[in-house]
Amino acid sequence: MFTKAFRRLLSNKTFSLLNILGLATGITCSALIFLWVEDEVTYNNHFTHKNQLYSVLENQTYNGVTSTFWSTPGPLSPAVQSSVPGIQNTARMTWADKQNFSYNNNPIYQRGAYVDPAFLSMFSLTFLKGNPAAALTQPNSLVVTREMATTIFGNTEDAMGKSVKVNNSELFTVTAVVENQPYNSSVRFQWLLPFAAYEKNNPWVKTWGNNGLQTFIQLAPGANTNAVNKQLTQLIRTSEPESKDEAFVFPMSQWRLYSYFNNGKPAGGRIKDVRLFAGIAWVILFIACINFMNLSTARSEKRAREVGVRKVIGAQKLRLILQFGGESMFMSFLSVVLSIGLIYLFLPAFNSLVQKHLSLSLIQPVHLAGLLSIGLICGIVAGSYPALYLSSFKPIQVLKGFRDRQNSSASWFRKGLVVFQFSISIILIICTTIVYRQVEHTRNRQLGFDKENLIYAKLEKNVQEHFSVVRDELVRSGVVTDAALCNQNMLEVGSNGAGFEWQGKDPSVNPLVSLIATGPHLLNTMGFQLESGRDFYTDAKADSASVIINRRLANMMGKEGQVGHYIKRAKEQYLITGIVNDFLYNDMYSKPAPLIMFCMPQLTEVLMIRLKPSDNLISAVGKVETIIKKYQPEYPFEYNFTDQSFNTMFFNEQFTGKLASLFAALAILISCLGLFGLSAFSAEQRKKEIGIRKVLGATVSNVTALLSKEFMALVLVSSIIAFPVAWWLMHNWLQNYEYRISISWWIFLLAGITAMLIALITISFQSIRAAISNPVKSLRNT
Amino acid sequence: MIKITDLEKVYRTEEVETVALNKLSFEVKHGEFVAVMGPSGCGKSTLLNILGLLDDPDAGSFLFNDIEVAHFNERKRADLRKHNIGFVFQSFNLIDELTVFENAELPLIYTGVKAAERKKRVEEVLEKVQIMHRRNHYPQQLSGGQQQRVAVARAVVNKPKLILADEPTGNLDSSNGNEVMQLLTELNEQGTTIIMVTHSEHDARYSHRIIRMLDGQTVTENIMI
Repeated sequence: MFTKAFRRLLSNKTFSLLNILGLATGITCSALIFLWVEDEVTYNNHFTHKNQLYSVLENQTYNGVTSTFWSTPGPLSPAVQSSVPGIQNTARMTWADKQNFSYNNNPIYQRGAYVDPAFLSMFSLTFLKGNPAAALTQPNSLVVTREMATTIFGNTEDAMGKSVKVNNSELFTVTAVVENQPYNSSVRFQWLLPFAAYEKNNPWVKTWGNNGLQTFIQLAPGANTNAVNKQLTQLIRTSEPESKDEAFVFPMSQWRLYSYFNNGKPAGGRIKDVRLFAGIAWVILFIACINFMNLSTARSEKRAREVGVRKVIGAQKLRLILQFGGESMFMSFLSVVLSIGLIYLFLPAFNSLVQKHLSLSLIQPVHLAGLLSIGLICGIVAGSYPALYLSSFKPIQVLKGFRDRQNSSASWFRKGLVVFQFSISIILIICTTIVYRQVEHTRNRQLGFDKENLIYAKLEKNVQEHFSVVRDELVRSGVVTDAALCNQNMLEVGSNGAGFEWQGKDPSVNPLVSLIATGPHLLNTMGFQLESGRDFYTDAKADSASVIINRRLANMMGKEGQVGHYIKRAKEQYLITGIVNDFLYNDMYSKPAPLIMFCMPQLTEVLMIRLKPSDNLISAVGKVETIIKKYQPEYPFEYNFTDQSFNTMFFNEQFTGKLASLFAALAILISCLGLFGLSAFSAEQRKKEIGIRKVLGATVSNVTALLSKEFMALVLVSSIIAFPVAWWLMHNWLQNYEYRISISWWIFLLAGITAMLIALITISFQSIRAAISNPVKSLRNT
Repeated sequence: MIKITDLEKVYRTEEVETVALNKLSFEVKHGEFVAVMGPSGCGKSTLLNILGLLDDPDAGSFLFNDIEVAHFNERKRADLRKHNIGFVFQSFNLIDELTVFENAELPLIYTGVKAAERKKRVEEVLEKVQIMHRRNHYPQQLSGGQQQRVAVARAVVNKPKLILADEPTGNLDSSNGNEVMQLLTELNEQGTTIIMVTHSEHDARYSHRIIRMLDGQTVTENIMI
């Protein structure tokens, strides 16, 4: 059967090429997406106890709005271990952070966390060196990954027993080397240090009132999570009588894809993207299959005689179905083979697009089975209709001269499929444009400060103490306008708290307020506008009980929201010395939350530096580095540009946008391959008519228009179908963003016209060729 | 009206070179009815295609109404053709998807005649060839003779000065064939020049003059009485 199929393939090179190219493109695209989906759905699968591991989350309610936090108090873990039944193990982990590791006076920043010893067995780390039971029991032990061992010591062999200076103070000794975590692990680190070491320097972790740690729990198989949740909540509320917080365990299997909460209730997560993209992958595959169906049935006139002859000499319908089905299956598997090459070719580009490390492995059963089933599905879907249609021809009818008339059912079916293809393409064009415009709209939003020429760098404690000297030297260097201390990069304000009071406050109001620890000069450095009052004094100690608040909080406080008035929290009372404009941080799509700046340079770790606008920022940064290095020679100077960090905040939207445009391009490409084939067929079928018309005086443009008209009508119908669907999709998508564009009508018009133009160009190859052909030739054989 | 001098046309494929017209010369006057006869492959169809401005000669001169058209480009030829020449084919060459009326209307559309005027003129010619009652039928629903009458109607709807007929009765039985020849004769009597390629001595007798061709050349010219 396959030799015949192969012969047929060779005898119709253009047709076969269009089919195989279209299908292979579709398969490549969907296979890449499925690799991405596989990576997402197999997140954390490498953990042996995946089904028993949970993170403890807390629901906290402020002003009637419940927010869900992944941070828990430090004493929770030991308390749970001893008092809640059904728990096999618990461990705390600090939020992964970069610390300075110095070996042989070579300082380097590496990312990791402090964990309880139980973490090692709970997360089933693979030990290359060292003893899992003893690895973190000593207060100065250090566990490193293969990657970090290689970076610092050159290889894993030499790492054991070596002492490394951490943050330029204490020495830690490598007690174990573990395998790197795979890229699709929720728990990624380069080093692990004993939690005890962290506790020593951070007494706040011993109190119930501060939520700043992750708590992981390993439950016994079959444990009742509801009961555990009840006990966790009770434990927190008894330990902290004022707390109304609710704690619950959140299974590892849901960390990656179901991590969104809305008002305390699970609200999906990345699973939405996974489903959307998987759906699009199938649609693209189907669009590719459509080409096959269309071209096969369109060419049926040529094959009708064969069917007639075969039937006359005794072939049964089933046999014919199998024959045609076999041909499409053959074609489909050829496409799979071609697409394997294409996947290898495009995987690096795709990886950089989606920021992953995907790979295709033909010896991996899942991948092989996946490709085989794609081939099988394409073969069946693409071959089904042509096989049924072709095998149904009546022998007498077709032997007498069969014509696939323009209004036959097969021709309507073809038109329907083309409309489907172009509807999808147009929808994708519209969505891509709107996503792109939404991102651009937000990127160009007024932030409330100047993000250009602004860098931030990590600072060590001793520099803070000499801040004014450092700042003076920076300003004197001529490349810096101003500098200020801050506890974090100002785009990501990580701390917040509630329980603020002021005179005449409505007792039911308890807003969650963002908290910033800073010192003098921040307003000028950032470019905030001081609406009233003053900046903190250069002598920070004089302002230790003063705060600067933002406009949003000032408005919330009503007539107390003024310079000279007070805001209180617990026993502390702060004087409002300044009010600044609302500026954006964290979520660029929403309104800024109420915010307080405290003058507490002792809590800061980041230096914000405003550079003078210059053509040579690199040399400016070099000068800054020399100065900073003078004050902290033991630390590498690591800095970021705020505008670059700002751009990374749009990763998700840009990712969606890029993928959507990729899909749109592919959908159009595949659709046009099909259209190219169909228009060739149409021109061939109407050869005689074109000849007659030309003899009667039709010009080339008359004929081109005639042939293009029918396809243009299809694209027009596609637009009419696509517009409302695209509007509905994008309207819903935009609801996710408080700061959003309105959907303009011209985008739809543009998408429709684009699709028409692309279709027109595709068709014109064939129609112009038909139109300039000599009518004498097409009329000769009639 | 037509004067060709030393007209040459050679068809080349990879292997063979076929001389279709070999220094062919003759003249056709206004209002003449000329039949071209000869065996298959003698160049009759090639001649008709060149006369119909569907094809261009390789060499020689072709004066159409005293204008040299041998080297007209495609657009000029199409323009000249649609205003001056009507075609009648052996296999009718009607468009299956169009009705009788629409088929006859086509040349008027391509010469840019207004819709109301088109309706009037199409009805006039359909009346003339006595097919008006079938105006909304499709070609497949008509007999061969009826189809050829539609084709004739289509050929004359633009009031061309010249009608080129390529074996117009070849696919018809004798009574239908005679009807079509009668029609052509009437058109000729009303002043239309007709050049007709035919195999039929019977049909040739309707003409004023017979040009006999062999191997791309004229061999004799008979004047009919």
